[in-house]
Amino acid sequence: MTTAIPTLESADVTLRHGAANWLRSFRLMLRLEYIGTRQFAAVIVVVQFMMGAGMAVMYGFFYPEITPTTALYITTGIPVLALIPMGFVIVPGGIGEQRTSGSFDFIWSLPVPRSAQVTAMFVMYTSLALPGTVLALLVAMWRYGVTLSISPLIVPAVLLAAVMSVAVGAGMAMAITNPMITNLISNALIFVVMLFTPIVYPASNLPLWLMRVHEVLPFHHMTVAIRSGLTDGLVTGTTTSFLVLGAWTVAGTAVTAWVIRRRA
Amino acid sequence: MSVAEAPVTDRAGTDVTRTGWPYWLSGYRTMLAWHLASLRMWLGVLTVVQVLAGVGFVLGFALFFADIPIQAALFVSTGVPVINLVMVGLILGPQLVADQRTSQSYDFIQSLPVPHTASALAWYTVCLIGGLPAVVVSLTVAVLRYDGLPLAIGADVVPAMMLTAFTGTMLGYALAHAISSPMVTRSITQLIVFGIFGATPILFPVSQMPAWLGSLNWWFPFRHMADVIRASLTDLSYPDLAISYVVLAVWAIIAGVLAVRALGRRQ
Repeated sequence: MTTAIPTLESADVTLRHGAANWLRSFRLMLRLEYIGTRQFAAVIVVVQFMMGAGMAVMYGFFYPEITPTTALYITTGIPVLALIPMGFVIVPGGIGEQRTSGSFDFIWSLPVPRSAQVTAMFVMYTSLALPGTVLALLVAMWRYGVTLSISPLIVPAVLLAAVMSVAVGAGMAMAITNPMITNLISNALIFVVMLFTPIVYPASNLPLWLMRVHEVLPFHHMTVAIRSGLTDGLVTGTTTSFLVLGAWTVAGTAVTAWVIRRRA
Repeated sequence: MSVAEAPVTDRAGTDVTRTGWPYWLSGYRTMLAWHLASLRMWLGVLTVVQVLAGVGFVLGFALFFADIPIQAALFVSTGVPVINLVMVGLILGPQLVADQRTSQSYDFIQSLPVPHTASALAWYTVCLIGGLPAVVVSLTVAVLRYDGLPLAIGADVVPAMMLTAFTGTMLGYALAHAISSPMVTRSITQLIVFGIFGATPILFPVSQMPAWLGSLNWWFPFRHMADVIRASLTDLSYPDLAISYVVLAVWAIIAGVLAVRALGRRQ
């Protein structure tokens, strides 16, 4: 009795390339990412709510009297403050957790295109960031009774700011293999962002040299882009800000791509 | 035939009594050396972080204003020492103990033959060592940054700072030892950090908060820490200062009792 040797034609072989395979991989990875993150969902909501809605209330205490301009600056800065911890704390924290628990290597060994995997990660974190951001903005509007003039520009502004922070956070966590150092950078960034970045106050309060630094860093540009979608005539240089945010997104993605293309 | 209980002896074979002042003092000295040795790597980093955080707040707060009013500058400059003083005892201490529980060294350290009070006081000393340099640097930077800052440092700065650091350390001690889950301890300390900066009148006057939040803060120690420290560093008048000292002492005693009870429990 002989057994037929399976040939390439007869075997049930799924070809692992092409757009259909990429989309299927993307869907599967999105599910995997979602299931893996679900247990942190409560933490994510709390962190975003505290940094966003909590700071909206607390910054108000800093001022002896809150002028309409102060109120407008705080209100329109709050969505930025809610987005920053997602990219710069939660994404690096999630990747660091995968490294510590050992699932990092497993996930990247799965037979799916790595671009599908990265896209799934970016899409998931970006969409997770949005509800907390909107909620924080609503709390700030309620607290200060500010009327905003919202333009369609807010949609690309928030999306680009969110994707940028996720991409840079991922790039940072990918490039730096020690979770301790990533954690340290995250904490230092939050401190710098909360005090030394013109998010809830006008950039003109800063000394000139610090303003120059913020022309390169992404945080001030996130604020300009989002503020331009929420107010009329308060900010200028929106195009530059969108370009800088785009550049940071490309840089973060490039670092991520470079790290995951290297074979372990 | 009964075996007589062997007396505790040291290496030379002489009896050691584990009571009395000399024993307590030697326990204090040993635990102080122990804490300093186990933190040796971190003590430098810790001081730098403390100084950076203190100086960061003193300088950064001014950026929120086009031109910071001197009163706001005075409040932030005299509020930062409170944060420096409680940072090690209240925030870092519980996290270190949480790490000890995770890494299983907690039971070993607790089994050392040292009186709990000696151990607690040694830790309090470490908290002062980790806090006071940053207080000095933050205040110096504040004086250099804000022209004409109306500081008036009185002799009551000593009891004010000692008690603030003591209450902070005892609260941290209770958090660390009375709560056995490291996760819960870590979450609570994170919450306290957040509350200290935004929900307590440490960096700004209580009048800038809603009245209900100000009243709520009366029951917690942080407002009183800020009041006693500010009274000792400035000419601002605080009519209820004695009450603030009492509230702080009560918090310290309650926290201390909770911690010692948790430490004395057999497992």
